[in-house]
Amino acid sequence: MHNKIDEGRFRELIVESGDLQSDAMRDAKAGLADYVEAAREAQIGRERSGWAPAAVVGGAVGAAMLANVAPAFAQGNQGNEIKILQTAAGLENLAVNTYKKALTLPFIGGSSANGVVKAFATMTMAQHAEHSQAFNAAATKLGGPPQNGVPAKYAQVVMAALPGITGPDDVVGLALTLENVAAETYVKDVSMVSTPELRQLFASVAGVEAQHVAVLLAVQALLGADLADQIKLPPDAEKLPAAAGKVGFPNAFYKTDMAAGAEDGAVK
Amino acid sequence: MNRRRAGKTPEMQISERELRAMTRELDDLHSSTFPQVRETLDELAGTLVEVVRRPSSRRTFFLGAAGALTLGAAAACGGGNAAGGYATSGGNAAGTGVYTGDLKVVALAAALENLAVTAYNGALHMAGAGQLGYVPPAVAEFVTVAVRQHADHAEAWNAVLSKAGKPVITGAPLTITADQVAKLNAATSVPAVAQVALDLEDAAAETYTFATANVTDIGGIMTAATIQPVEAMHAAILSFVLGKYPVPATFIGVNNAVKPDMLTA
Repeated sequence: MHNKIDEGRFRELIVESGDLQSDAMRDAKAGLADYVEAAREAQIGRERSGWAPAAVVGGAVGAAMLANVAPAFAQGNQGNEIKILQTAAGLENLAVNTYKKALTLPFIGGSSANGVVKAFATMTMAQHAEHSQAFNAAATKLGGPPQNGVPAKYAQVVMAALPGITGPDDVVGLALTLENVAAETYVKDVSMVSTPELRQLFASVAGVEAQHVAVLLAVQALLGADLADQIKLPPDAEKLPAAAGKVGFPNAFYKTDMAAGAEDGAVK
Repeated sequence: MNRRRAGKTPEMQISERELRAMTRELDDLHSSTFPQVRETLDELAGTLVEVVRRPSSRRTFFLGAAGALTLGAAAACGGGNAAGGYATSGGNAAGTGVYTGDLKVVALAAALENLAVTAYNGALHMAGAGQLGYVPPAVAEFVTVAVRQHADHAEAWNAVLSKAGKPVITGAPLTITADQVAKLNAATSVPAVAQVALDLEDAAAETYTFATANVTDIGGIMTAATIQPVEAMHAAILSFVLGKYPVPATFIGVNNAVKPDMLTA
């Protein structure tokens, strides 16, 4: 299905959102600079005083859900934070590669593609590239090498899925997996890092990945319900089944059980 | 890409069943997630109770001062009070000073969630009264589920306040409430209501992004981090319905966050 009117409107919206992106990117870069400075100052302070917030924060929490993240949060380990950033960059690189590959498929980026799906894949790929740049910039400034590769564990998932892709629903399913892993990883990472600036960076990206998930869930539901013609902006709301109104946000609280570990994408 | 079949009614019934099955699974997921979050919140409440009761030590003083300084600076950047501090503005007589430190952010979050619940319930009431014209079933379902999730969020934050010995937030004591309610009351169509809701969801997502950087307790940080993406997802779907690009920014900002000095309780 190819709808020129929808695609044209979509491109206008992308231009508008590009302005928002520029503003957000500027803020994010400023946040990164603050983060690096704060992390260095925190490291110097810890070395001089021997003080660490672990005794207050880590000792008081201990919830089962946080058991695996509290130590890293408490230690504020700069080396561990570099690994966390590299893993995040690796996940972003994998997403970029996957969308790039998807856009070579005729039903995603070719003549038989839905214009909105094609534009979404293109825009989302660009957003992931910016996320990767941001995470790598922070890792580099902290003294670590950038992660220009992909986490092997998740790359294998993509490689295993590729031969079975025969239509847009398969691509959407694979993208959903990657977006969910990324979102859950960053939600968890918020509690793994030691400075407010980096917590904010991970949260700001987690929300965007979650929005990708919401859109993909909606698209998946429409494809599954044989309503592909409603993948347009705006859809004909009166033609949508009632349940379509809630498929995009399945949980009141975002889960983290699929989150990647700090080492999963770290540069060896 | 599949095309719609002819024969609308049978097709819609099948689609509805399929989607119901999908969303039933999602509801199960929600039920399995909520207890984990409650556990984290219980721990947060315990931590905050300890902080409230414990005499100031060097460490607790350091954490409190750091939080106040950070929030003060952020409030100043966002047009906060002249002192750049943490004091409430326009609060009721009983409220000033009731919530401090992390508990102020918790109270702010509860108030913001209550405002969302109020707005969505108001929209449902207006729809029921025929004030919005035809309301598509999918939109009604969106509102029904979104209001439930916001109520879950409010309940979670209020549980923390209650366990910390503080009064729960039952209304929406925020400086933005009157303006938001006025906008909702002025709406006469589904898109107009959706735009009010979108603004609230965007503000909520930015507020939780702000909270991750400005709350000192890890339980509070984690709770904000798990709610923020959900508000962002609500916003994405609302944008989609309104015909706007659903993921307009590469990074969720904080410029439109509801800051602690906007809490009037």
